[in-house]
Amino acid sequence: MSSTPVAGPAPTGPTSGPGSGPTGQPSPDRSRGPGRRAPRFRPVSAGTRPGPSRRVARHWPQYLAISPYYLIFSVFMLFPVLYTVFLAFQKWDGIGDMQFVGFQQFRFLWDDPIFWLSVRNTLVIWVLSTVPMLFMALVLAVLVNSTKRFTAFYRVALFIPSITSLVAIAIFFGAIFSNNFGLINAILKSLHVSAVPWMSNEWTIKLVIATLMTWQWTGYNAIIYLAGLQAIPSEVYEAARMDGAGPARIFFSITIPLLRPIILFTVVVSTVTGLQSFTEPQVLFGSEAATNPNSGGPGQAGLTTLLYFYHQAFDNNDFGYAAAIVWAFFLLILLIVLVNWRLVQRKERRP
Amino acid sequence: MDLSRRRFLQAAVLTAAAAGATAACGGGSGSSGSKDSKDLALWYWSGGLSDKVVADAKTHFSDITLKTSVVGGDFKTKLLTGLRSAQAAPDITGIKGEDIASFLPNANRFIDLKTVGADKLVPDYLAWKLKQATTQDGKLIGFPIDIGPCATFYREDLFAQAGLPTDPAQVSAQLATWDDYFAAGVELHKAVPKTFLINNIGSVFGMIVGQGTRRFIDEDNKFIGDQDHIRTAWTTAVKPYTLGIDAKINDNTWNAAISGGTLGTEIGAAWHALDISNAAPGTKGKWRVASLPGGPSNLGGSFLAIPATSGNPDEAFKIISWILSPENQARGFTDAALFPTAPAAYKLPALTGGDAFFGGQKTIEIFGPAAEKIPSAYEAPADAAVSAPFYSELTSIEAKGKDPDEAWKDAVSQAKQIAERQGVK
Amino acid sequence: MNGMNRKRVRGVSVHVILMLGVVISVFPFYWIVVMATNTSQDIYSYPPKLWFGDNLLTNIQHLFDRMDFFGALSNTMIVAVCTTVLVLFFDSLAAFAFAKYDFPGKKFFFGLLLSMYLLPTQLAIIPQYEIMVQLGWLGTLKALIVPAAANAFGIFWMRQYTTTSVPDELLDAARIEGAGFFRLYWHVVLPCVRPALAFLGIYTFIAAWNDYILPLVMLVNPDKLTLQVALAQLYAGHSTDYSMVMAGVLLSVIPLVLMFTFFARGFIADATKGALR
Repeated sequence: MSSTPVAGPAPTGPTSGPGSGPTGQPSPDRSRGPGRRAPRFRPVSAGTRPGPSRRVARHWPQYLAISPYYLIFSVFMLFPVLYTVFLAFQKWDGIGDMQFVGFQQFRFLWDDPIFWLSVRNTLVIWVLSTVPMLFMALVLAVLVNSTKRFTAFYRVALFIPSITSLVAIAIFFGAIFSNNFGLINAILKSLHVSAVPWMSNEWTIKLVIATLMTWQWTGYNAIIYLAGLQAIPSEVYEAARMDGAGPARIFFSITIPLLRPIILFTVVVSTVTGLQSFTEPQVLFGSEAATNPNSGGPGQAGLTTLLYFYHQAFDNNDFGYAAAIVWAFFLLILLIVLVNWRLVQRKERRP
Repeated sequence: MDLSRRRFLQAAVLTAAAAGATAACGGGSGSSGSKDSKDLALWYWSGGLSDKVVADAKTHFSDITLKTSVVGGDFKTKLLTGLRSAQAAPDITGIKGEDIASFLPNANRFIDLKTVGADKLVPDYLAWKLKQATTQDGKLIGFPIDIGPCATFYREDLFAQAGLPTDPAQVSAQLATWDDYFAAGVELHKAVPKTFLINNIGSVFGMIVGQGTRRFIDEDNKFIGDQDHIRTAWTTAVKPYTLGIDAKINDNTWNAAISGGTLGTEIGAAWHALDISNAAPGTKGKWRVASLPGGPSNLGGSFLAIPATSGNPDEAFKIISWILSPENQARGFTDAALFPTAPAAYKLPALTGGDAFFGGQKTIEIFGPAAEKIPSAYEAPADAAVSAPFYSELTSIEAKGKDPDEAWKDAVSQAKQIAERQGVK
Repeated sequence: MNGMNRKRVRGVSVHVILMLGVVISVFPFYWIVVMATNTSQDIYSYPPKLWFGDNLLTNIQHLFDRMDFFGALSNTMIVAVCTTVLVLFFDSLAAFAFAKYDFPGKKFFFGLLLSMYLLPTQLAIIPQYEIMVQLGWLGTLKALIVPAAANAFGIFWMRQYTTTSVPDELLDAARIEGAGFFRLYWHVVLPCVRPALAFLGIYTFIAAWNDYILPLVMLVNPDKLTLQVALAQLYAGHSTDYSMVMAGVLLSVIPLVLMFTFFARGFIADATKGALR
């Protein structure tokens, strides 16, 4: 998960957002803004149609206004992304000359068990974190929504983990899950359970990383669900109650369907950020620098794909191979997001 | 939740000013063509040099402003990235022993120290160590800070509890082979159940590889990591795991383990003494040093180098040769457990005296002979990258109980693939 | 009577569960303080100390010996403040153009903006690093500030807000008085979109403060690090002095948590709106 504390809006366009989606759920800001219904302001008289170049020239302030982003974007994002494609076909140590090697890097990638191990690690950590995180978030949101007391306090307290620095939290988790000391093993000991070597077992390492991510993002997702819940008009519930529906039925046949666009959003965001976990294992297992830097801990159990990418690029200086890794991984993320999307969308059509 | 326009404007102007200032600074400090800068930056890592000697160097070279930075984290990565840019690169830098080989192909990024005065000093330093920093066409890119003759550090009190020999000479004699050493470990663990013999099996593996004269790649740039010398090292390294005397520490808790008595011995280089005394000040006087089972080995031992972008190579080498003079190396040994690379230092009182942390033991009696008999092995630039899977697979055995034979096969096949990627035959 | 009781029990149990969630959320902060105020030996001992100790100042002293804390703090501040101000300015300006004007290519540009949303930064990081080498920016804070000076999310968010909250009548009136694009932006738009700017500002500030991978790659100079990178380096290496590191964690977390709790309510409301759009 990168350091982005708050995810952006849903990747749908402004006009096709959840607010006007098939569920017809009103967007919370629909009524805001006095000039919303006014016709769009057009400083250029639309009636006369000057030549295209003059139209462009006349709009120089607008082009100037949007240019910083596109300039920065082209130089620091678009060009680099394309250049990464180019690099994936080269062998380059970052200092000497580049050497064109065709698809060799991808062939290496296909045969590299460590790459596939890293993909497996990433997926396991993602599932271990996302599923409980979104489930608990939904429960918390429903609970907060069901009460009127202390809600402001709950929101703040639940939200705080998501703004806390990942490095700090990784260090904290490293300390409490430590094998040789650490709060968790101390508690186990006081319960007369034998200590668990959290940081040196293949599965517990993943569990610790997933717990960290769950801790950090559950509250954030709960707050988002809460906003969605509050946007559901109370009449809908009243009508259902009049028809004799119980709380469980209301939850499953009204709340969940109406929340679906928001659930889709949280699933997509958690997928994209969850699959990009890098800082957690990098900070937790950066310690073996002498023999084996950034190898993801014992048994490489914490080696996520992005950490493997970083290792190849900045430890081994194998930039061509690293470029192949990161591109292959991006395509994988894209695939998973699309599958997710289709799954949630299909369910939406069924009722 | 409001941001007034005036504030916004003020902030914007401030930012512009700050950005301008940064730009000006960035441009100003860039190394210009002249090579007589009086501001020199020195990078090393915590424990890489004696902080006292470095502090004295600052006063000794009063006409030079020596700015020192202790770099944390992965030093090689930082240095490699830093070397790419003249503004960022230091004027003098440390290079770790295990990394020096990987810098040799890019020797043009460094000053050939023989051109700035090292040629006269070469005879006074260990020849095999200088060879590690010499390219095939004879350029010397690093001047040796220390060497890492290895030994067994052991807890005398715990050995006594287990009925094992406690006197360094006796321990050296009785724990002469790896099997003897492991057998002692079993007894130790039986007598003191919370105490293990070794930190992790990767450390044993590295030590045994270092005892040989061949590593993972030979002089003809051919991969030899699948041959018997590595296989034997592997099989031996796995033994303590099977015997249950491996503490399996692969995370940041070594510190706690060493001070809490989880580790009864540590195998490591001379400089490792500093790690132990820093981590476990409470165990002062309880540790002793004995010879390494299976013969001498070298681990690490670093260099000082001058990047090609250095602002003043001549002055930089003067500083290096001062810091690494036999007298200052002797001080480095007392202060930071850096074992000297100039044999003249071995006769100085700082080395021949006793060490209070080791109960007054004269550790030179162990390290001195070890240093003389260190086997010299060819270390290829890709050696570290190719050896990485062996260490990773050893942790797999520890972390998930992977079958050692299977782990060996996987390590070899991964190493071969990395070798191919790195252009090794 | 019975029904009332059941309702009450349910109400109480809701708060019990929620309080449990709150405790889990804030417990790490408590425990960080516990570790930062005790000695490393206390942390290693069993049973662990559960309450604050009196070793904080010593730990902070050790911390300051090991790292240039205030240097790292000021670097982090410079990066976060510069990035935030630039983002606010560039994003709101571009958003105004997108929200209230039609110009050739607008659809294309805006579509590009949306499609770039999910592009992970790691895809660009190696060439970005090369670019910084070529520009001579490697190891400087510019390498962090400039690439982050405008972003798609901010433009998108500000466009939404500008569209709905800046009355066209007001723009028309100002235009009749002869105001051009930039004067409209300065005198009409900015005052109207302040709440949205405040949210975007905090959001950007937090993101810049907590960023890790970019500073890790770009800041090669050991005496020019941000807090996050400096902290991670303090922790790396197997001789970690935990109480000292925890003091560093504590000091690095405090400013952000304070700022957040200060702005919290409005910020959370806006953050969720961002998600719901």
